[in-house]
Amino acid sequence: MPKLLIVDDEADVREFAKRFFTKRNIDVTTAAGGQEALEIIGRDKPDLVLLDVRMEEMTGVEVLRELRGKQDNTKVIMVSGVNDHEIIAAANAYGVHEFIHKPLVLEELEKIVLAELAK
Amino acid sequence: MFHFVISFLHIEKLKKFVIFLYGYGVVCSGLILFTNLLVGGTKQYFWGFYSLAGRLHPIFLTIFISQIILCVFLLINCYWGLSENTIKKQQIKYVLIGIFIFDFSSVDFIPNYGISFYPFGYGTTALFVLFFAYSIVKYRLLEVNLLITRTSIFLVYCLLLSFPFVIALSWQKQLMNLLGENWWLAPLISSTVLATVGPSIYLFIQRKAEALLLQEQRRYQAALRRASIGMGRVKDLKRLLKLTVNIVTRTVHLKNAAIYLFHPPSGLYILKALKGREDLRDRKHAFIPLNAPLIGHLQKHREPLVYDEVKQRGQDFQDQTLQEIGKMMEGLDAALLVPSFIEEDLAGLLVLGKKRSGKLYSHDDLVVFSILANQAALAIENAQFYEDMKKTHDQLMKAEKMATIGTMADGLSHQINNRLHAMGFIAGDALDTIKLQPRENLPPEAKKVYEEMETSLGKIQDNVKRGGEIVEGLLKYSRKADEGFAAIELNKLLDASLEMAQFKIKINQIDITRDFNGRLPAVRGNFTQLQEVFFNIIDNSYDAMVQRKEELKEPGYRGKLEIRAQAEGSHLEIFLKDNGMGVREKDFKRLFTPFFTTKLSSKKGTGLGLYVIRKIIEENHGGKVDFVSEYQQGSQTRLVLPIAM
Repeated sequence: MPKLLIVDDEADVREFAKRFFTKRNIDVTTAAGGQEALEIIGRDKPDLVLLDVRMEEMTGVEVLRELRGKQDNTKVIMVSGVNDHEIIAAANAYGVHEFIHKPLVLEELEKIVLAELAK
Repeated sequence: MFHFVISFLHIEKLKKFVIFLYGYGVVCSGLILFTNLLVGGTKQYFWGFYSLAGRLHPIFLTIFISQIILCVFLLINCYWGLSENTIKKQQIKYVLIGIFIFDFSSVDFIPNYGISFYPFGYGTTALFVLFFAYSIVKYRLLEVNLLITRTSIFLVYCLLLSFPFVIALSWQKQLMNLLGENWWLAPLISSTVLATVGPSIYLFIQRKAEALLLQEQRRYQAALRRASIGMGRVKDLKRLLKLTVNIVTRTVHLKNAAIYLFHPPSGLYILKALKGREDLRDRKHAFIPLNAPLIGHLQKHREPLVYDEVKQRGQDFQDQTLQEIGKMMEGLDAALLVPSFIEEDLAGLLVLGKKRSGKLYSHDDLVVFSILANQAALAIENAQFYEDMKKTHDQLMKAEKMATIGTMADGLSHQINNRLHAMGFIAGDALDTIKLQPRENLPPEAKKVYEEMETSLGKIQDNVKRGGEIVEGLLKYSRKADEGFAAIELNKLLDASLEMAQFKIKINQIDITRDFNGRLPAVRGNFTQLQEVFFNIIDNSYDAMVQRKEELKEPGYRGKLEIRAQAEGSHLEIFLKDNGMGVREKDFKRLFTPFFTTKLSSKKGTGLGLYVIRKIIEENHGGKVDFVSEYQQGSQTRLVLPIAM
């Protein structure tokens, strides 16, 4: 069973994304912030991480940077609300797999996630 | 007659000569009355008695004839000097004809020299006087009313002065009885007194009489002058126009009045205010086109048009244009049309109907109305300027608000996006749940409920998407200005800008050439902001190319954007030159004004493009931007940016 980690500081997003992907036979865990996400990644080794860029305590780019700093090459899809050139550049520099924009329709996310998991 | 011609033609130099001639007239009268030098007796002809020429008569005759010749010469000289077919020319013609008729009266001199010839000259003199009277009334040679009044007053005044002498002559005996030997002192003193105070009495009577005669006219002229002065204070254009027609109709007692103002975008004079004749407020009278003969005439002559004169002259000269103007004035029910100028441009027309009294417009009226119209033009310009300023102010306020929104937008859009995002997930998951639910065994009502929920949830998702697009659009103008500055290569910047542009424009329909050295130094700047700048310029050029293609329809036309760059000291100069429609000269100075757009549909242009470009380049980057354009040829934007150290 593929493992997916959803990192978002929005409870509703976490809840409904989890419900959606669980129905597709994916083992979904969620994290509300960057620190929590890093712990889960270290512990559970998820196949894919859906990482929100803008979060309160720690940004998505910082999480990614720390992760890569630990030589962890876990696949990461970043979800951003803003089409910001610099963030995209930084995320690319730290080896992001996909960069997608909010708001997102679940069906589209499903396609991207399933495609990444199938790789 | 000489005096008339001199006054009529305003020849100041010869005024002294007039006094001489009057003196000469007095001398002649004296010679006739007291000597036989001019009139040397009488002779009986078969038709009656007539005077014979005296010794000095030939001299008198010579001076008389040369005087007339001089008048004719002056008139003809002035006539040829006037190139235009003006009222003045018409007037001179009438005066010349009058003098021609008068010349026949010289036959009266023939019998003076003993030749039997009936002196019918008095007949032609009478004809001459009649003719002049007619021309005066018809062609406003002089102010008839004033003339009559002044002449009457002069007569009364003469009677008054001669009164003591009349008394002295008729009551000589009674006075002698009454006053003794020095009786003649009484009439002499009284006439001296009268002669001394006479001029002031004369002036007093004249002033009173004129005031009485022109009371009405002076009253409204004063009112109009006051109104002209007050106009400058009215800032509301609509009110000002309404006020003007109201004042004019009320104070001058006109049947109707209207104002037409030039509307530059449409090139029409548009009816802005109307009083009386409400029935003229229809489509036919709502505007006067720029190419109407009426407008051309006013622009050329810059003088008020009097309907009666226009009509008369149109008939007299068989002038097609004047006849057309006459018809147009008839349509507008205009007895008088006063143009109103702002510098060289005809800014508007004041249409004045007939006076309720039926009186004609006097020369003074025209002067006062011209003052009023020009004052109104200034006031209107003021009001327009004020309105424009208010608009600009509002726009700046709006821009300020936008800037505030900009700083908020970043945080705000994050919040909104997150809400939309969550909403999208909730709807998406609910939809998913419904779709995964087996429905075969459900009753039809339940199936229907599922279907409806499916549609509704789908719609929520559509709205989430659209909401996201709106937030994205809002962010475009509100990116933070203080994000990092870095060394930027022009090629990369252009790539990114074109990438951004291709979502909006069809890049493969135009040619974009890059004509610069690959090893060009990088500029120091904010990538996102500069990307926005180049995107805007490319977008503008593209729109200009499309416009040219659609409007000029040149065969084989293809849009072309040339990008050149060169290092210039510590700066990089970048030129972006297109072969689009270019910008009209009149729009040029407003190009960098926020919210000003020449793009036809408001959907296409926000009017912020160039404003944003200038702000980004000059304020944020310490660079420079200028723009040259030739209408229907193309435009070139030059950007100067600091080279990265």
